[in-house]
Amino acid sequence: MRLWISGSAGSKLLPLHRRPHNRLGLILLALILLGAIALAASIGATSLSWRALIAGDATTRTIFFDIRLPRTILAALIGAALAVAGVTFQTLLRNPLADPFILGVSGGAASGAAIATAFGLARRVPGIVPPMAFLGACAATGAVFLLARRREYTDPTRLLLSGLVLNAFFSAVILICFALSPQGDLTAALKWMMGTLFAAQWSDVVLLLVLLIVTMAVLVSIANDLRLFAFGEEDAKSRGVAVERVKIIGFITASIVTGAAVAVSGIIGFVGLLVPHLVRMIWRRDFRDLLPLSALAGGTLVVLADLLSRIVIQPSELPIGAFTAVLGVPFFLMLLRRSR
Amino acid sequence: MLEVAEVSYRYGEVEGLSGVTVTLDRPQLVALVGPNGSGKSTLLKLVARVLAPASGEVRFEGKRLRDWDGKEYAKRVGYLPQDPDPTFPMRAIDVVVSGRAPFLGRFERESDADYEAAAKAMELCDALHLADRYLDEMSGGERKRIFLARVLAATPAVILLDEPLAALDLSHVQQFSLLLRDVVDRTHCTVVYATHDLNWAAAYCDRMLVMQRGTLAIDAPPAEVMRPDTIRELFGFDAAAVEAGGRSWLVPRVP
Repeated sequence: MRLWISGSAGSKLLPLHRRPHNRLGLILLALILLGAIALAASIGATSLSWRALIAGDATTRTIFFDIRLPRTILAALIGAALAVAGVTFQTLLRNPLADPFILGVSGGAASGAAIATAFGLARRVPGIVPPMAFLGACAATGAVFLLARRREYTDPTRLLLSGLVLNAFFSAVILICFALSPQGDLTAALKWMMGTLFAAQWSDVVLLLVLLIVTMAVLVSIANDLRLFAFGEEDAKSRGVAVERVKIIGFITASIVTGAAVAVSGIIGFVGLLVPHLVRMIWRRDFRDLLPLSALAGGTLVVLADLLSRIVIQPSELPIGAFTAVLGVPFFLMLLRRSR
Repeated sequence: MLEVAEVSYRYGEVEGLSGVTVTLDRPQLVALVGPNGSGKSTLLKLVARVLAPASGEVRFEGKRLRDWDGKEYAKRVGYLPQDPDPTFPMRAIDVVVSGRAPFLGRFERESDADYEAAAKAMELCDALHLADRYLDEMSGGERKRIFLARVLAATPAVILLDEPLAALDLSHVQQFSLLLRDVVDRTHCTVVYATHDLNWAAAYCDRMLVMQRGTLAIDAPPAEVMRPDTIRELFGFDAAAVEAGGRSWLVPRVP
Protein backbone atom coordinates (compact mmCIF):
# COMPACT_ATOMS: atom_id res chain seq x y z
CA MET A 1 0.00 0.00 0.00
CA ARG A 2 1.54 3.26 -1.15
CA LEU A 3 -0.84 6.10 -0.54
CA TRP A 4 0.97 9.12 -1.84
CA ILE A 5 4.58 8.23 -2.44
CA SER A 6 4.77 8.35 -6.20
CA GLY A 7 7.62 8.03 -8.68
CA SER A 8 10.65 5.82 -8.38
CA ALA A 9 13.92 6.71 -6.69
CA GLY A 10 15.61 7.16 -10.05
CA SER A 11 13.14 9.68 -11.42
CA LYS A 12 14.44 13.01 -12.59
CA LEU A 13 15.41 15.57 -10.01
CA LEU A 14 14.08 19.05 -10.39
CA PRO A 15 16.61 21.61 -11.58
CA LEU A 16 18.69 22.22 -8.48
CA HIS A 17 18.26 25.44 -6.60
CA ARG A 18 21.76 26.19 -5.50
CA ARG A 19 22.58 29.31 -3.63
CA PRO A 20 26.28 30.03 -3.79
CA HIS A 21 27.77 33.19 -2.27
CA ASN A 22 25.67 36.19 -3.13
CA ARG A 23 28.42 37.93 -5.14
CA LEU A 24 26.01 40.05 -7.15
CA GLY A 25 24.39 41.46 -4.02
CA LEU A 26 27.77 42.16 -2.43
CA ILE A 27 29.11 43.96 -5.51
CA LEU A 28 25.90 45.95 -5.86
CA LEU A 29 25.88 47.06 -2.22
CA ALA A 30 29.61 47.83 -2.28
CA LEU A 31 29.13 50.10 -5.31
CA ILE A 32 26.19 51.84 -3.64
CA LEU A 33 28.27 52.34 -0.49
CA LEU A 34 31.17 53.82 -2.49
CA GLY A 35 28.76 56.10 -4.31
CA ALA A 36 27.23 57.23 -1.02
CA ILE A 37 30.68 57.93 0.43
CA ALA A 38 31.68 59.95 -2.64
CA LEU A 39 28.43 61.89 -2.53
CA ALA A 40 28.60 62.59 1.20
CA ALA A 41 32.24 63.67 1.02
CA SER A 42 31.54 66.17 -1.74
CA ILE A 43 28.45 67.83 -0.21
CA GLY A 44 28.48 70.05 2.85
CA ALA A 45 28.45 73.53 4.29
CA THR A 46 31.29 74.45 1.93
CA SER A 47 30.75 73.17 -1.57
CA LEU A 48 33.75 71.38 -2.96
CA SER A 49 34.46 70.68 -6.58
CA TRP A 50 36.10 67.45 -7.63
CA ARG A 51 38.11 69.44 -10.17
CA ALA A 52 39.68 71.64 -7.46
CA LEU A 53 40.42 68.55 -5.42
CA ILE A 54 42.19 66.83 -8.28
CA ALA A 55 44.02 70.08 -9.16
CA GLY A 56 45.41 70.03 -5.61
CA ASP A 57 43.79 73.14 -4.13
CA ALA A 58 45.08 73.35 -0.51
CA THR A 59 41.83 74.43 1.20
CA THR A 60 39.78 71.93 -0.74
CA ARG A 61 42.22 69.18 0.12
CA THR A 62 42.16 70.05 3.82
CA ILE A 63 38.37 70.08 4.00
CA PHE A 64 38.12 66.89 1.99
CA PHE A 65 40.88 64.79 3.53
CA ASP A 66 40.90 66.06 7.12
CA ILE A 67 37.22 66.70 7.73
CA ARG A 68 34.79 65.21 5.23
CA LEU A 69 36.50 61.95 4.33
CA PRO A 70 37.30 60.72 7.87
CA ARG A 71 33.80 61.66 8.96
CA THR A 72 32.15 59.88 6.05
CA ILE A 73 34.27 56.76 6.34
CA LEU A 74 33.71 56.70 10.08
CA ALA A 75 29.97 56.91 9.44
CA ALA A 76 30.25 53.91 7.09
CA LEU A 77 32.22 51.91 9.67
CA ILE A 78 29.77 52.73 12.47
CA GLY A 79 26.86 51.70 10.31
CA ALA A 80 28.60 48.48 9.36
CA ALA A 81 29.49 47.74 13.00
CA LEU A 82 25.94 48.32 14.27
CA ALA A 83 24.36 46.29 11.46
CA VAL A 84 26.79 43.42 11.99
CA ALA A 85 26.02 43.45 15.73
CA GLY A 86 22.28 43.57 14.95
CA VAL A 87 22.25 40.64 12.56
CA THR A 88 24.39 38.61 14.98
CA PHE A 89 22.09 39.29 17.95
CA GLN A 90 18.98 38.54 15.90
CA THR A 91 20.43 35.22 14.76
CA LEU A 92 21.79 34.23 18.17
CA LEU A 93 18.63 35.07 20.07
CA ARG A 94 16.19 33.94 17.35
CA ASN A 95 14.47 37.23 17.91
CA PRO A 96 13.70 39.72 15.13
CA LEU A 97 13.58 42.55 17.67
CA ALA A 98 17.03 41.92 19.14
CA ASP A 99 19.52 44.71 18.66
CA PRO A 100 22.55 46.07 20.54
CA PHE A 101 20.49 48.86 22.06
CA ILE A 102 17.70 46.66 23.34
CA LEU A 103 20.28 44.43 25.05
CA GLY A 104 21.55 47.39 27.09
CA VAL A 105 24.96 47.66 25.47
CA SER A 106 24.43 51.23 24.34
CA GLY A 107 22.85 52.16 27.69
CA GLY A 108 26.02 50.96 29.40
CA ALA A 109 28.11 53.03 27.02
CA ALA A 110 25.99 56.13 27.64
CA SER A 111 26.29 55.59 31.41
CA GLY A 112 30.06 55.46 31.10
CA ALA A 113 30.01 58.73 29.20
CA ALA A 114 27.60 60.33 31.67
CA ILE A 115 29.73 59.34 34.67
CA ALA A 116 32.81 60.83 33.00
CA THR A 117 30.88 64.05 32.47
CA ALA A 118 29.21 64.32 35.87
CA PHE A 119 32.39 64.19 37.89
CA GLY A 120 34.24 66.69 35.74
CA LEU A 121 36.54 64.01 34.33
CA ALA A 122 35.58 64.98 30.80
CA ARG A 123 36.92 68.53 31.31
CA ARG A 124 40.14 67.54 33.06
CA VAL A 125 41.07 64.62 30.83
CA PRO A 126 40.25 65.39 27.19
CA GLY A 127 39.26 62.36 25.19
CA ILE A 128 38.15 60.36 28.24
CA VAL A 129 34.53 59.99 27.07
CA PRO A 130 35.04 57.33 24.35
CA PRO A 131 37.12 54.96 26.54
CA MET A 132 34.64 55.40 29.41
CA ALA A 133 31.78 54.65 27.03
CA PHE A 134 33.60 51.56 25.80
CA LEU A 135 34.13 50.40 29.40
CA GLY A 136 30.45 50.98 30.08
CA ALA A 137 29.49 48.90 27.06
CA CYS A 138 31.73 46.04 28.17
CA ALA A 139 30.36 46.20 31.73
CA ALA A 140 26.80 46.11 30.41
CA THR A 141 27.62 43.14 28.18
CA GLY A 142 29.11 41.24 31.11
CA ALA A 143 26.18 42.08 33.38
CA VAL A 144 23.46 41.17 30.90
CA PHE A 145 25.18 37.91 30.09
CA LEU A 146 25.69 36.91 33.74
CA LEU A 147 22.08 37.76 34.56
CA ALA A 148 20.80 35.63 31.68
CA ARG A 149 22.96 32.64 32.50
CA ARG A 150 21.46 29.68 34.31
CA ARG A 151 23.77 26.83 35.10
CA GLU A 152 25.42 26.04 31.75
CA TYR A 153 22.69 27.52 29.65
CA THR A 154 22.01 31.06 28.41
CA ASP A 155 18.33 31.70 27.97
CA PRO A 156 17.50 34.08 25.08
CA THR A 157 14.33 35.36 26.75
CA ARG A 158 16.18 36.10 29.98
CA LEU A 159 18.85 37.83 27.91
CA LEU A 160 16.30 40.21 26.40
CA LEU A 161 14.59 40.79 29.75
CA SER A 162 17.93 41.43 31.44
CA GLY A 163 18.71 43.99 28.74
CA LEU A 164 15.39 45.68 29.33
CA VAL A 165 15.91 45.90 33.08
CA LEU A 166 19.52 47.07 32.71
CA ASN A 167 18.38 49.79 30.30
CA ALA A 168 16.02 51.09 32.98
CA PHE A 169 18.90 51.07 35.46
CA PHE A 170 21.20 52.89 33.04
CA SER A 171 18.55 55.55 32.43
CA ALA A 172 18.51 56.20 36.17
CA VAL A 173 22.31 56.41 36.28
CA ILE A 174 22.31 58.88 33.41
CA LEU A 175 19.62 61.06 35.00
CA ILE A 176 21.50 61.16 38.31
CA CYS A 177 24.74 62.05 36.55
CA PHE A 178 23.05 64.83 34.65
CA ALA A 179 21.48 66.20 37.81
CA LEU A 180 24.98 66.41 39.30
CA SER A 181 26.61 67.88 36.18
CA PRO A 182 27.59 71.53 35.67
CA GLN A 183 25.53 73.20 32.95
CA GLY A 184 28.28 73.42 30.30
CA ASP A 185 29.25 69.78 30.60
CA LEU A 186 25.62 68.80 30.35
CA THR A 187 25.23 70.19 26.84
CA ALA A 188 28.32 68.36 25.63
CA ALA A 189 27.13 65.08 27.15
CA LEU A 190 23.66 65.47 25.72
CA LYS A 191 25.13 66.10 22.27
CA TRP A 192 27.24 62.98 22.56
CA MET A 193 24.25 60.92 23.64
CA MET A 194 22.22 61.96 20.64
CA GLY A 195 24.98 60.75 18.39
CA THR A 196 27.36 62.95 16.48
CA LEU A 197 30.20 62.49 14.05
CA PHE A 198 31.24 66.14 14.32
CA ALA A 199 34.82 65.64 15.50
CA ALA A 200 35.66 62.51 13.50
CA GLN A 201 39.37 61.79 13.21
CA TRP A 202 41.47 59.38 11.24
CA SER A 203 42.57 57.74 14.51
CA ASP A 204 38.92 56.81 15.20
CA VAL A 205 38.65 55.43 11.69
CA VAL A 206 41.70 53.22 12.12
CA LEU A 207 40.54 51.96 15.53
CA LEU A 208 37.08 51.04 14.33
CA LEU A 209 38.32 49.59 11.05
CA VAL A 210 40.68 47.21 12.84
CA LEU A 211 37.97 46.15 15.30
CA LEU A 212 35.46 45.64 12.53
CA ILE A 213 37.85 43.48 10.51
CA VAL A 214 38.60 41.31 13.55
CA THR A 215 34.87 41.04 14.36
CA MET A 216 33.98 40.05 10.81
CA ALA A 217 36.76 37.44 10.73
CA VAL A 218 35.54 35.90 13.99
CA LEU A 219 31.90 35.92 12.91
CA VAL A 220 32.65 34.47 9.48
CA SER A 221 34.55 31.64 11.17
CA ILE A 222 31.46 30.68 13.23
CA ALA A 223 28.88 31.55 10.55
CA ASN A 224 28.31 27.95 9.44
CA ASP A 225 27.37 27.08 13.03
CA LEU A 226 25.59 30.30 13.89
CA ARG A 227 23.12 30.07 10.99
CA LEU A 228 21.85 26.76 12.40
CA PHE A 229 20.56 28.66 15.44
CA ALA A 230 17.61 29.57 13.20
CA PHE A 231 16.15 26.13 13.94
CA GLY A 232 16.64 26.38 17.67
CA GLU A 233 19.52 25.58 19.97
CA GLU A 234 18.59 21.93 20.52
CA ASP A 235 18.51 21.31 16.80
CA ALA A 236 21.89 23.00 16.38
CA LYS A 237 23.32 20.97 19.26
CA SER A 238 22.13 17.71 17.72
CA ARG A 239 23.98 18.69 14.56
CA GLY A 240 27.29 18.87 16.38
CA VAL A 241 27.37 22.62 17.02
CA ALA A 242 29.10 23.67 20.26
CA VAL A 243 26.11 25.88 21.05
CA GLU A 244 27.32 27.54 24.26
CA ARG A 245 30.75 28.33 22.85
CA VAL A 246 29.33 29.81 19.63
CA LYS A 247 26.84 31.83 21.66
CA ILE A 248 29.49 33.34 23.91
CA ILE A 249 31.86 34.13 21.04
CA GLY A 250 29.09 35.71 18.97
CA PHE A 251 27.67 37.70 21.84
CA ILE A 252 31.02 39.07 23.00
CA THR A 253 32.35 40.05 19.56
CA ALA A 254 29.08 41.75 18.63
CA SER A 255 29.05 43.63 21.94
CA ILE A 256 32.65 44.80 21.62
CA VAL A 257 32.12 46.17 18.13
CA THR A 258 28.94 47.92 19.33
CA GLY A 259 30.81 49.39 22.28
CA ALA A 260 33.50 50.75 19.97
CA ALA A 261 30.93 52.22 17.58
CA VAL A 262 28.97 53.86 20.39
CA ALA A 263 32.18 55.16 21.99
CA VAL A 264 33.23 57.10 18.89
CA SER A 265 29.82 58.27 17.74
CA GLY A 266 27.37 58.34 20.63
CA ILE A 267 24.03 56.62 20.31
CA ILE A 268 22.86 56.03 16.75
CA GLY A 269 19.77 53.91 17.14
CA PHE A 270 17.79 51.56 14.91
CA VAL A 271 20.61 50.75 12.48
CA GLY A 272 21.25 47.38 14.09
CA LEU A 273 17.56 46.62 14.08
CA LEU A 274 16.53 47.88 10.64
CA VAL A 275 19.39 46.99 8.34
CA PRO A 276 19.28 43.19 8.76
CA HIS A 277 15.51 43.27 8.15
CA LEU A 278 15.91 45.38 5.01
CA VAL A 279 18.57 43.05 3.65
CA ARG A 280 16.47 40.02 4.53
CA MET A 281 13.44 41.50 2.74
CA ILE A 282 15.49 41.81 -0.45
CA TRP A 283 17.53 38.61 -0.40
CA ARG A 284 16.06 36.19 2.19
CA ARG A 285 19.40 34.53 2.84
CA ASP A 286 20.81 32.91 5.95
CA PHE A 287 23.34 34.44 8.35
CA ARG A 288 26.34 33.61 6.16
CA ASP A 289 25.15 35.99 3.44
CA LEU A 290 23.31 38.43 5.67
CA LEU A 291 26.49 39.26 7.60
CA PRO A 292 28.49 40.95 4.80
CA LEU A 293 25.35 42.30 3.11
CA SER A 294 24.23 43.93 6.36
CA ALA A 295 27.67 45.45 6.91
CA LEU A 296 27.58 47.17 3.50
CA ALA A 297 23.93 48.25 3.79
CA GLY A 298 24.45 49.55 7.34
CA GLY A 299 27.45 51.58 6.19
CA THR A 300 25.41 53.10 3.38
CA LEU A 301 22.49 53.95 5.67
CA VAL A 302 24.61 55.79 8.24
CA VAL A 303 26.63 57.64 5.56
CA LEU A 304 23.39 58.92 4.03
CA ALA A 305 21.84 59.68 7.43
CA ASP A 306 24.93 61.66 8.38
CA LEU A 307 24.83 63.54 5.08
CA LEU A 308 21.17 64.46 5.61
CA SER A 309 21.78 65.47 9.22
CA ARG A 310 24.47 67.88 7.99
CA ILE A 311 22.58 69.50 5.14
CA VAL A 312 18.93 69.65 6.25
CA ILE A 313 19.29 72.76 8.42
CA GLN A 314 22.57 74.20 7.15
CA PRO A 315 24.81 75.53 8.54
CA SER A 316 23.69 73.85 11.77
CA GLU A 317 23.52 70.09 12.29
CA LEU A 318 20.83 67.72 13.46
CA PRO A 319 21.88 64.95 15.85
CA ILE A 320 22.29 61.87 13.66
CA GLY A 321 20.93 59.54 16.36
CA ALA A 322 17.65 61.48 16.50
CA PHE A 323 17.63 61.44 12.73
CA THR A 324 17.97 57.65 12.36
CA ALA A 325 15.30 57.19 15.04
CA VAL A 326 12.84 59.51 13.27
CA LEU A 327 13.42 57.61 10.03
CA GLY A 328 13.62 54.22 11.69
CA VAL A 329 10.60 54.13 13.97
CA PRO A 330 7.86 54.45 11.29
CA PHE A 331 9.68 51.99 9.10
CA PHE A 332 9.98 49.55 11.96
CA LEU A 333 6.30 49.86 12.84
CA MET A 334 5.42 49.17 9.22
CA LEU A 335 7.64 46.09 9.33
CA LEU A 336 5.98 44.94 12.53
CA ARG A 337 2.49 45.27 11.05
CA ARG A 338 3.44 43.38 7.92
CA SER A 339 5.13 40.52 9.73
CA ARG A 340 3.05 37.60 10.88
CA MET B 1 24.51 -0.28 17.00
CA LEU B 2 23.00 1.94 19.70
CA GLU B 3 22.92 1.01 23.36
CA VAL B 4 21.31 2.97 26.15
CA ALA B 5 22.55 1.51 29.43
CA GLU B 6 21.05 2.39 32.84
CA VAL B 7 20.65 6.02 31.82
CA SER B 8 19.24 8.60 34.23
CA TYR B 9 18.67 12.29 33.89
CA ARG B 10 17.49 14.98 36.31
CA TYR B 11 15.91 18.38 35.65
CA GLY B 12 17.17 20.10 38.79
CA GLU B 13 15.28 18.32 41.57
CA VAL B 14 12.90 16.54 39.24
CA GLU B 15 13.71 13.07 38.02
CA GLY B 16 13.43 13.07 34.23
CA LEU B 17 14.59 9.56 33.48
CA SER B 18 15.79 6.78 35.73
CA GLY B 19 17.72 3.67 34.79
CA VAL B 20 16.56 3.27 31.19
CA THR B 21 18.16 0.46 29.21
CA VAL B 22 17.36 -0.20 25.57
CA THR B 23 19.20 -1.42 22.48
CA LEU B 24 18.60 -0.58 18.83
CA ASP B 25 20.42 -3.04 16.62
CA ARG B 26 18.65 -3.27 13.27
CA PRO B 27 16.55 -1.28 10.80
CA GLN B 28 13.22 -0.89 12.54
CA LEU B 29 10.37 1.54 12.93
CA VAL B 30 10.18 2.08 16.66
CA ALA B 31 7.30 3.98 18.27
CA LEU B 32 8.10 5.67 21.57
CA VAL B 33 4.87 6.09 23.48
CA GLY B 34 3.77 6.99 26.98
CA PRO B 35 1.79 9.65 28.86
CA ASN B 36 2.88 13.30 28.88
CA GLY B 37 5.95 13.81 31.06
CA SER B 38 6.90 10.14 31.02
CA GLY B 39 10.38 10.87 29.59
CA LYS B 40 9.97 10.33 25.83
CA SER B 41 11.54 13.65 24.83
CA THR B 42 14.26 13.32 27.44
CA LEU B 43 15.26 9.90 26.14
CA LEU B 44 15.41 11.18 22.55
CA LYS B 45 17.47 14.22 23.60
CA LEU B 46 19.95 12.02 25.47
CA VAL B 47 20.44 9.85 22.41
CA ALA B 48 20.64 12.93 20.16
CA ARG B 49 23.45 14.33 22.34
CA VAL B 50 21.39 17.37 23.18
CA LEU B 51 21.48 16.40 26.87
CA ALA B 52 24.16 14.47 28.71
CA PRO B 53 23.06 11.71 31.11
CA ALA B 54 23.46 12.23 34.87
CA SER B 55 24.42 8.58 35.17
CA GLY B 56 24.60 5.58 32.90
CA GLU B 57 25.86 5.62 29.35
CA VAL B 58 24.77 5.82 25.77
CA ARG B 59 27.02 4.07 23.27
CA PHE B 60 26.86 4.21 19.51
CA GLU B 61 28.86 1.69 17.47
CA GLY B 62 30.58 0.71 20.71
CA LYS B 63 31.79 4.23 21.46
CA ARG B 64 30.45 6.41 24.27
CA LEU B 65 28.53 9.45 23.08
CA ARG B 66 30.83 11.95 24.77
CA ASP B 67 33.78 10.40 22.93
CA TRP B 68 32.13 11.01 19.57
CA ASP B 69 32.97 14.12 17.60
CA GLY B 70 29.74 16.14 17.40
CA LYS B 71 29.65 16.45 13.61
CA GLU B 72 30.68 12.84 13.01
CA TYR B 73 27.88 11.68 15.30
CA ALA B 74 25.41 14.03 13.59
CA LYS B 75 26.17 12.34 10.25
CA ARG B 76 24.97 9.05 11.73
CA VAL B 77 22.21 10.00 14.12
CA GLY B 78 19.65 12.59 13.04
CA TYR B 79 17.25 14.37 15.39
CA LEU B 80 14.09 16.38 14.79
CA PRO B 81 13.01 18.46 17.80
CA GLN B 82 9.37 19.25 18.46
CA ASP B 83 9.41 22.83 17.27
CA PRO B 84 12.15 23.45 14.72
CA ASP B 85 10.50 26.30 12.76
CA PRO B 86 13.12 28.78 11.60
CA THR B 87 13.03 32.33 12.96
CA PHE B 88 12.77 33.94 9.54
CA PRO B 89 11.06 32.72 6.34
CA MET B 90 13.17 30.15 4.47
CA ARG B 91 12.78 28.26 1.22
CA ALA B 92 12.13 24.53 1.62
CA ILE B 93 15.24 23.53 -0.32
CA ASP B 94 17.40 25.78 1.89
CA VAL B 95 15.89 24.18 5.00
CA VAL B 96 16.54 20.67 3.68
CA VAL B 97 20.08 21.37 2.47
CA SER B 98 20.92 22.83 5.89
CA GLY B 99 20.61 19.22 7.08
CA ARG B 100 23.97 18.69 5.35
CA ALA B 101 25.68 20.99 7.85
CA PRO B 102 27.69 18.22 9.59
CA PHE B 103 29.42 17.50 6.28
CA LEU B 104 30.62 21.06 5.72
CA GLY B 105 34.00 22.48 6.69
CA ARG B 106 34.20 25.69 8.68
CA PHE B 107 34.17 28.00 5.65
CA GLU B 108 32.58 25.59 3.19
CA ARG B 109 29.33 26.06 1.28
CA GLU B 110 26.95 23.32 0.19
CA SER B 111 28.19 21.63 -3.00
CA ASP B 112 26.23 20.07 -5.86
CA ALA B 113 26.48 16.76 -4.02
CA ASP B 114 24.81 18.30 -0.97
CA TYR B 115 21.94 19.63 -3.10
CA GLU B 116 21.67 16.23 -4.75
CA ALA B 117 21.33 14.58 -1.33
CA ALA B 118 18.76 17.18 -0.31
CA ALA B 119 16.73 16.64 -3.50
CA LYS B 120 16.81 12.86 -3.01
CA ALA B 121 15.60 13.24 0.57
CA MET B 122 12.79 15.51 -0.59
CA GLU B 123 11.82 13.05 -3.28
CA LEU B 124 11.68 10.28 -0.71
CA CYS B 125 9.30 12.43 1.32
CA ASP B 126 7.29 13.37 -1.78
CA ALA B 127 8.19 17.01 -1.18
CA LEU B 128 10.40 17.82 -4.16
CA HIS B 129 7.67 19.93 -5.74
CA LEU B 130 7.78 22.17 -2.64
CA ALA B 131 11.47 23.03 -3.12
CA ASP B 132 10.89 26.67 -4.07
CA ARG B 133 8.09 27.36 -1.62
CA TYR B 134 8.61 29.22 1.62
CA LEU B 135 8.07 27.33 4.83
CA ASP B 136 5.67 29.87 6.30
CA GLU B 137 3.39 29.47 3.27
CA MET B 138 2.99 25.71 3.75
CA SER B 139 0.49 23.58 5.61
CA GLY B 140 1.52 21.77 8.77
CA GLY B 141 1.71 18.44 6.93
CA GLU B 142 3.95 19.84 4.19
CA ARG B 143 6.25 21.44 6.76
CA LYS B 144 6.61 18.13 8.61
CA ARG B 145 7.68 16.43 5.39
CA ILE B 146 10.25 19.15 4.75
CA PHE B 147 11.70 18.69 8.22
CA LEU B 148 11.82 14.92 7.82
CA ALA B 149 13.64 15.45 4.51
CA ARG B 150 16.07 17.76 6.32
CA VAL B 151 16.95 14.95 8.73
CA LEU B 152 17.16 12.40 5.88
CA ALA B 153 19.47 14.67 3.85
CA ALA B 154 22.32 13.73 6.19
CA THR B 155 21.67 10.01 5.37
CA PRO B 156 21.79 8.94 9.03
CA ALA B 157 21.61 5.36 10.27
CA VAL B 158 19.35 6.31 13.16
CA ILE B 159 16.61 8.94 13.05
CA LEU B 160 14.99 10.34 16.19
CA LEU B 161 11.75 12.27 15.81
CA ASP B 162 10.10 14.07 18.71
CA GLU B 163 6.32 13.97 18.18
CA PRO B 164 6.34 14.48 14.42
CA LEU B 165 2.59 13.82 14.26
CA ALA B 166 1.63 16.56 16.73
CA ALA B 167 -0.89 19.03 15.29
CA LEU B 168 -1.56 16.97 12.15
CA ASP B 169 -5.09 16.13 11.07
CA LEU B 170 -6.39 12.54 10.78
CA SER B 171 -5.39 11.93 7.20
CA HIS B 172 -1.95 13.52 7.59
CA VAL B 173 -1.28 11.42 10.67
CA GLN B 174 -1.88 8.32 8.61
CA GLN B 175 0.11 9.57 5.63
CA PHE B 176 3.06 10.56 7.79
CA SER B 177 3.00 7.27 9.73
CA LEU B 178 3.06 5.44 6.44
CA LEU B 179 5.86 7.65 5.19
CA LEU B 180 7.96 6.67 8.22
CA ARG B 181 7.32 3.00 7.44
CA ASP B 182 8.42 3.67 3.87
CA VAL B 183 11.58 5.48 4.95
CA VAL B 184 12.61 2.49 7.06
CA ASP B 185 11.87 0.00 4.30
CA ARG B 186 13.63 1.96 1.59
CA THR B 187 16.66 3.43 3.37
CA HIS B 188 17.18 0.65 5.96
CA CYS B 189 17.68 3.10 8.77
CA THR B 190 16.21 2.89 12.24
CA VAL B 191 13.50 5.42 13.00
CA VAL B 192 12.44 6.11 16.58
CA TYR B 193 9.52 8.48 16.92
CA ALA B 194 7.66 9.72 19.93
CA THR B 195 3.91 9.73 19.41
CA HIS B 196 0.57 9.73 21.18
CA ASP B 197 -1.19 8.02 18.30
CA LEU B 198 -1.18 4.42 19.49
CA ASN B 199 -3.38 2.99 16.76
CA TRP B 200 -1.36 4.26 13.83
CA ALA B 201 1.88 3.48 15.62
CA ALA B 202 0.69 -0.09 16.16
CA ALA B 203 -0.42 -0.36 12.55
CA TYR B 204 2.98 0.42 11.08
CA CYS B 205 5.76 0.04 13.64
CA ASP B 206 7.89 -3.02 14.37
CA ARG B 207 8.40 -2.31 18.00
CA MET B 208 6.96 -0.18 20.75
CA LEU B 209 8.76 1.37 23.67
CA VAL B 210 6.35 2.44 26.39
CA MET B 211 7.61 4.99 28.90
CA GLN B 212 6.07 5.46 32.31
CA ARG B 213 7.23 7.98 34.93
CA GLY B 214 10.80 8.15 33.61
CA THR B 215 11.28 4.42 33.18
CA LEU B 216 10.90 2.06 30.25
CA ALA B 217 7.82 0.04 31.15
CA ILE B 218 7.48 -2.14 28.04
CA ASP B 219 9.69 -2.94 25.08
CA ALA B 220 7.66 -5.25 22.85
CA PRO B 221 6.00 -5.76 19.45
CA PRO B 222 2.84 -3.62 19.11
CA ALA B 223 0.47 -6.60 19.40
CA GLU B 224 1.61 -7.14 22.99
CA VAL B 225 1.14 -3.50 23.93
CA MET B 226 -2.24 -2.96 22.31
CA ARG B 227 -4.33 -4.80 24.88
CA PRO B 228 -7.07 -3.02 26.80
CA ASP B 229 -5.70 -4.12 30.17
CA THR B 230 -2.15 -2.98 29.36
CA ILE B 231 -3.37 0.38 28.09
CA ARG B 232 -5.52 0.89 31.18
CA GLU B 233 -2.58 0.14 33.41
CA LEU B 234 -0.06 2.33 31.55
CA PHE B 235 -2.18 5.28 30.45
CA GLY B 236 -5.09 5.09 32.86
CA PHE B 237 -7.27 4.97 29.76
CA ASP B 238 -10.34 2.77 29.56
CA ALA B 239 -10.23 1.16 26.12
CA ALA B 240 -11.89 -1.62 24.19
CA ALA B 241 -10.36 -3.57 21.30
CA VAL B 242 -12.26 -3.54 18.02
CA GLU B 243 -11.48 -5.74 15.05
CA ALA B 244 -11.44 -3.97 11.69
CA GLY B 245 -9.53 -4.49 8.45
CA GLY B 246 -7.78 -7.53 9.84
CA ARG B 247 -6.24 -5.77 12.81
CA SER B 248 -7.16 -4.75 16.28
CA TRP B 249 -7.83 -1.08 17.11
CA LEU B 250 -8.20 0.48 20.49
CA VAL B 251 -11.21 2.70 20.98
CA PRO B 252 -12.37 4.50 24.12
CA ARG B 253 -15.01 2.75 26.18
CA VAL B 254 -17.75 5.30 26.71
CA PRO B 255 -19.49 4.93 30.08
